[in-house]
Amino acid sequence: MELGSEEGLGISSEDYDSLIATTDVELLKRAWRNEKASPEILQFQTSLVQRSREQIQLMEDTVEEFPKNCTDPLTVSLYQMDLDRMLFVLRSYLRTRLQKIEKYFIHISKSDLWNRLSDQEQKFAKKCTDYMEKHLQRSVLSHLPYGYQSILRQSISSEEDDMVPEPRLDTFVFCKSKGSVGAFQLDDSGDEIVDLVADDLYVLRYKSIKSLVESGQIDLV
Amino acid sequence: MYGRRASQLLKELSSNEKSQLTAFNTDMFGEVLKECNTHHLELQSLMRKIQEEGLDMQTTRNADHFGAVIHHLSLMRNKRCLMAYAYNRAEVIQSLRWMVGPVLPQEIQAKLNQSEKEYFKNHSAALEAYMSELDLDLTVDMVPPKDPYIRVRLLDDIGDDVVLDDQTHNFVRHSIHLLKRTDAEQYISQGLMEELSG
Amino acid sequence: MAGQSDPHLSLFSAAEVEFLAEDEMVEIVPNMKMDALNFICGDYGPFYPQLTTEVPLWLAVALKKRGKCTVRLPQWMSVEKLTQVLEAERDSPREFQPLPFHYVEISRLMFDHARDDIPDMYMVRSLIEDIRNVRFHKVETGLETISARTHAVKLKNLSAMEVNIVRPFVVRTLQAFYKHDSPQMIQHPDGTANRQPQVADRGPRRDLRRR
Repeated sequence: MELGSEEGLGISSEDYDSLIATTDVELLKRAWRNEKASPEILQFQTSLVQRSREQIQLMEDTVEEFPKNCTDPLTVSLYQMDLDRMLFVLRSYLRTRLQKIEKYFIHISKSDLWNRLSDQEQKFAKKCTDYMEKHLQRSVLSHLPYGYQSILRQSISSEEDDMVPEPRLDTFVFCKSKGSVGAFQLDDSGDEIVDLVADDLYVLRYKSIKSLVESGQIDLV
Repeated sequence: MYGRRASQLLKELSSNEKSQLTAFNTDMFGEVLKECNTHHLELQSLMRKIQEEGLDMQTTRNADHFGAVIHHLSLMRNKRCLMAYAYNRAEVIQSLRWMVGPVLPQEIQAKLNQSEKEYFKNHSAALEAYMSELDLDLTVDMVPPKDPYIRVRLLDDIGDDVVLDDQTHNFVRHSIHLLKRTDAEQYISQGLMEELSG
Repeated sequence: MAGQSDPHLSLFSAAEVEFLAEDEMVEIVPNMKMDALNFICGDYGPFYPQLTTEVPLWLAVALKKRGKCTVRLPQWMSVEKLTQVLEAERDSPREFQPLPFHYVEISRLMFDHARDDIPDMYMVRSLIEDIRNVRFHKVETGLETISARTHAVKLKNLSAMEVNIVRPFVVRTLQAFYKHDSPQMIQHPDGTANRQPQVADRGPRRDLRRR
């Protein structure tokens, strides 16, 4: 499959995923793993989360109906386990994202990462920022001399925001490509080329494969 | 030595086990804040002196210039340490919401200062709002689910009419049953049952 | 966050890796009749006595625990296959033999829950143990070849649990090389320094300027 050229056609990673994966459970598990393994927050999987929640709701209703239909306890317990597994992945996915928001809210709200958050996550991030700012103002900043009271900068002579925690994009990640990506350039100078073969496992700098993760061509493990 | 107290503050922080809090060190924290203001006063008086002497700061490198730089850098370093202290504690405090719940026990409360207590409440409410908007509790299911049922063997006679989960069980010694883990745990801890694998 | 692992080093807890392994498919032979199960994660069954069918491992274990089936030993877990793999692992010091990504967890779950369905249980267990050891030794020697010039490491056929074990080491090592190799120090190494909320010392020191 020619994957490298698809980006230009405007195929989002969600579309791409649904082309090759089978169930929403698989997709959600993949989103969960990628989110856990990537240093920065990824695009919120809006429609996937919505579909998953609908399926969960449907299954919860079904399981509730079971006793009335005299379904045997064995079957009920198995359905319950399936439901529990799905719920765990969904919860852990959402939690992992909150964890990143709790850590990098200022950085996220200042950059285009902001658009990767769901509406609810944006609200949460805004509150996180407000409350942390209030707390730091009250505990530290308001007691400091004029010129040193910024939460973003060490002092007013700082030329840029030099106090904002950011995720380390140069960290190394373990990844596997789904299809063959082919020769891939790892650094800006083009000296380092790696041939990404399908299903082989690589350890690479997140920064260099960021675009492949975002387009869904490569999975983090 | 400039900045020593601030680094002690951070050493105290980093010597704690992760997610363990000690009481907010108000005294030391206040000392460092005081140090900051002293640096600022020194800095200002040196700046005034440089100005009065009509020296150009961009080009002139004299003792007063370097003195001022040192006060400025010390102040910034102290600020970084104070911020790190407050921020890292705040991170632990917000994680308590997941581990302990929305109400902190007295012995943890006692370790927080007023602003931290408020921060916990606020952050906790933000999370609450997020979860209720989603209509999904995220504080449960922290670890992957396991089969809620386990197989157990009776180590002693318990009785032939024990009702668990709407079912009557005949709990005689050596018999094997499939029970809800939550139901079996009390018996296991009393040494009346053992969990079987395989 | 409680219950979740450190986001930078061990990303997945052992329980989470096992959870993922439980979705691998295995064959079971039911001893009862049961309607098809239409799960969120897929449709399984219907189940008939003595008719082999494929289900995820977690379902196989649950049915086994309830005395409803026997689990068929996966082909790669036979003494014959494992012996071949072990020999090949020993013969090729630089390569890992292809095994299921979750071979460690699958075999452990089988040993824990389907012991009586594994002929030569002790043999199988010791073969898996030997394979793990040989592979692990290879991982260790392989890591010694990581150098400052390493931008990418290819670990063909490395399994999930092996990834989890080597991750902290590999990530730290590569980061250390990367940092010392790069002209500009980007961030502090592990320790208290990077728990600070700010990135200190970024770029050259700026001179004090008039306010």
